[in-house]
Amino acid sequence: MSEALKTKKKSNSISDPRYSCAVGASNTVVGIKGAVPIANCSPGCQLKQTAFLTFENGFQGSIFAGAGNMPSANSTENDIVFGGIKTLDQLIKSTLKVFDGDLYVVLTGCVGGLIGDDVPSLVNEYRDLGYPIVAVDTAGFKGNNLFGHEEVVNAIVDQFVGDYKGERKKGLVNLWFEVPYYNQNWRGDYQELARILRGAGFEVNVLFGPENNGVKDWLRIPEAQFNLVVSPWVGVRNAEHLEKKYGQPFLHIPEIPIGADATAAFIRKVVDFAGIDKEQSEKFIEQENGIYYYYLEHFSEFFVEYWYGMPSEFAITADSAYTLAYTKFLADQIGLIPRKAIITDDPPQKFRKTIEDAFHNISEGVDVEVEFEEDGYLIEKAIKEVDFSSGKPLILASSWEINLANDKGALFFEITPPSSETLIINRSFVGYKGALNLLEKIYGASVGGK
Amino acid sequence: MASTNINLNMTSVENREYRLGTIIGWDGKASDLIKESAYDERSAKKHGGCASKGAGCKLCELQSPLNQETMCSNAIVQCQVGNLTDCALIDHSPIGCSGENSKFNLSMHVGLKRRGKPLQNTLNISTNLKEQDMVFGASEKLRQTIRDAKERFNPKAIFIGMACATAIIGEDIDSIAEEMEPEVGVPIIPLHCEGFRSKHWSTGFDIAFHGVLRQIVNRHPTKKQNDLLNIVALWGTDYFSEMLAPLGLRVNYLLDTASFDEIRQASEAVATATFCDTLGGYMATALEESFGVPQIDAPQPYGIKGTDEWLRAIAKVVGKEKEAEEYIESEHKRIAPKLAELREFFKGKNGIVMTGSAYAHGLISVLSELGIGHDAALVFHHDPIYDGAGKHQDTLKELVETYGDIPHYTVSKTRAFQLPQLLKRAKTDFLLIRHPGLASVAGHLGFPTLTMGDEHIPVGYQGILRIGEMLKGVLSRTKFNQVLKRNVKLPYSDWWLAQDDPFYLTHHPETLNDLPEPRNLKFSKDKESNSENA
Repeated sequence: MSEALKTKKKSNSISDPRYSCAVGASNTVVGIKGAVPIANCSPGCQLKQTAFLTFENGFQGSIFAGAGNMPSANSTENDIVFGGIKTLDQLIKSTLKVFDGDLYVVLTGCVGGLIGDDVPSLVNEYRDLGYPIVAVDTAGFKGNNLFGHEEVVNAIVDQFVGDYKGERKKGLVNLWFEVPYYNQNWRGDYQELARILRGAGFEVNVLFGPENNGVKDWLRIPEAQFNLVVSPWVGVRNAEHLEKKYGQPFLHIPEIPIGADATAAFIRKVVDFAGIDKEQSEKFIEQENGIYYYYLEHFSEFFVEYWYGMPSEFAITADSAYTLAYTKFLADQIGLIPRKAIITDDPPQKFRKTIEDAFHNISEGVDVEVEFEEDGYLIEKAIKEVDFSSGKPLILASSWEINLANDKGALFFEITPPSSETLIINRSFVGYKGALNLLEKIYGASVGGK
Repeated sequence: MASTNINLNMTSVENREYRLGTIIGWDGKASDLIKESAYDERSAKKHGGCASKGAGCKLCELQSPLNQETMCSNAIVQCQVGNLTDCALIDHSPIGCSGENSKFNLSMHVGLKRRGKPLQNTLNISTNLKEQDMVFGASEKLRQTIRDAKERFNPKAIFIGMACATAIIGEDIDSIAEEMEPEVGVPIIPLHCEGFRSKHWSTGFDIAFHGVLRQIVNRHPTKKQNDLLNIVALWGTDYFSEMLAPLGLRVNYLLDTASFDEIRQASEAVATATFCDTLGGYMATALEESFGVPQIDAPQPYGIKGTDEWLRAIAKVVGKEKEAEEYIESEHKRIAPKLAELREFFKGKNGIVMTGSAYAHGLISVLSELGIGHDAALVFHHDPIYDGAGKHQDTLKELVETYGDIPHYTVSKTRAFQLPQLLKRAKTDFLLIRHPGLASVAGHLGFPTLTMGDEHIPVGYQGILRIGEMLKGVLSRTKFNQVLKRNVKLPYSDWWLAQDDPFYLTHHPETLNDLPEPRNLKFSKDKESNSENA
């Protein structure tokens, strides 16, 4: 274990944060096409979330009613003293009038939570009139943006999707995967995973991102045969909720697959669970393997013959999902040596053992002790103390680590928020295609004698 | 000095809306707003004189039921005292309030590079409050975080920023700061900057300045630096040094990227000026009132006339009138050919500025110098007076008298939904914007935007040319915005897009009683499946 993390004092402080607060789940709403978040919070709350999750995170930008377009109560002293319900009521009315949304999600922040405004009752009135509107308590002190994401999903399921008595459709799967905007490659990753599942013979209900068809996909949730959660922990709470609500089973795969081996194993796991015909999935795996290794063989020539300082060791710090997936691929498929892995997204205790085990068995003969830390000061200190044995190390982290990486003479990439020296339009580092993109990204920086 | 307007004995600052009469909603002719603002009356009051009863008391303000993502005073404090090289800022809040710190860290990196200082990260730390802290109080956590800040950064001062949550639960940051100071041995500066506190974020600048004025700026300087001029600024490139060198002056930039010692010496400077009266008014006035450092009472340094007068006013304070005149003359001559060329290029072009108020006035001056028309402008707030209340600090009046009236002058705090109407009624070829959230909507409507990331670009004589050159590139990007306009839909309803008045909801409050029919895909889906079953 890192000295820095061992000597940690009993303290709540966080420097250089790597996550935001629950009200940042407004971006989960923005991830659904046609959905409009209504921020029932102070001025500043949403701008800060936008800054952290969409701007300083690969400059992803926003869409539709996100970022500057987002309706917000911008609570004032008056609302604190006399209650903010009237302000919110005016905001909801004017939003219904001015915006063209298919779903409205009212996210209440710290202020509404503390002054005790009865937001659900107000929102119920509009729902009773027929408006597709949902209320969710996302006070910043209740949890981080990942907690908020799960809260928003459950609220939409309960207050918009509602009860369902119909049949479930075999082969239709709801994809619960990365957290919109927070996981910076989410748009491309959703596309690649959906492509893979379709290739394997599934009909995929994509709930966020470019292939989401808006709220009508959310209304299809109960029709699916099962819920697929691809994340070390985020979304499991939602799948459990759906299981209880609709009796819908779920499959939890903690590790996002990267590369041909991991993706084939992933496909087989899902196909086995669903009990669908294996012929198509095996054919797909064969076809994708062919393409993947066609490229990999070409790449291997560079990999074995280029001799200008390529990294052999790496340190990584990000959320559980990316840290596990990237470490696995780089350690198991490329043979990079993981020297430090620090998870920053504060997974609930009950998931930590499984995550730790996954790192211990990351690849034959390779073991890395993963650490959990949210305080950037300690994370930076822990990476600083790694004594990389030779050459140029690879550091995969956030922009808080730029100066540190420079001091170490490392090859450095931002993979987690904040990422203020990265521009992301359409990229993915997962599945078949993403694995090759990741290699191109890392080793592309090695060419030219860099 | 007839009277003191800023009370440095208090830890908190009176909001701008009370102190200056700031409004965030107004729409009309700029000349009318000048009349309604009654600057001279307010100025007389500020200087201890009499104003006729009732005059200049309250401006008519347009309220809006619909507001959108915007900035707060807490964020402004982070972007001010959170960007000092050797002082730490504690966000006494849940972690979400620190969300923008990474952006300010980027600003810090950029600012340090521009000022030739070594690269470093911001010294930020959050008390990271949770639900139980809301119930039981968070004072013990604050004490611990103060100790952590000391241990981590060994700072020369520690600021504590209040947030909405901690203000509501009644955290006593003043007492804790006082109590902990002896233990950590550096000034601990409480800042009452909770986001809901003021209707406009610019109160946050005043709060940050107030804190450094109270506890960092040297109250009893033993020497005077007669060649040092304070410039209240943000992270802008250092163009002021080249403008002030002919007057034999060095620049002391406040506050971003400054060190404790640079702030401390503000009271030794010969005078204080700024690139924006909205930003710098409080600091400059308090330095004048309580530290005897005069502020420059002049138009802002934008456009030819503004820059001339700004330089002359500074020259007068330091007794370099002759040098100033020589410099002014040579600069006029130097920029003339290029300026004529740019004016030719921009003939018939129009532009709209959307920024904070005094800065907007500066930018519009620059556009005017380039021969660019300005039918409309949007400012995020209007201060009918600034703290300085100087004779030559009525920036809107200065603008209109020098460069003509603005028929569509709108005051509205980052309400992106009004852009379709604002852009419909005015001629424009591009927009000049500062603050996030609006450029994207303008972009969807087909207009290219220049986002003023480096706020010093338009300053001075060379600033006019710099803006001109940049705008050429911006105009050519219209192609991109037209592609966007043809293919991407804004989130607004057809009903709203058909309106012409950006303040329609305000002028017709009854319209909110007539909501559109619910469009709920849930119901149509239920119907569908029922008919299938039937």
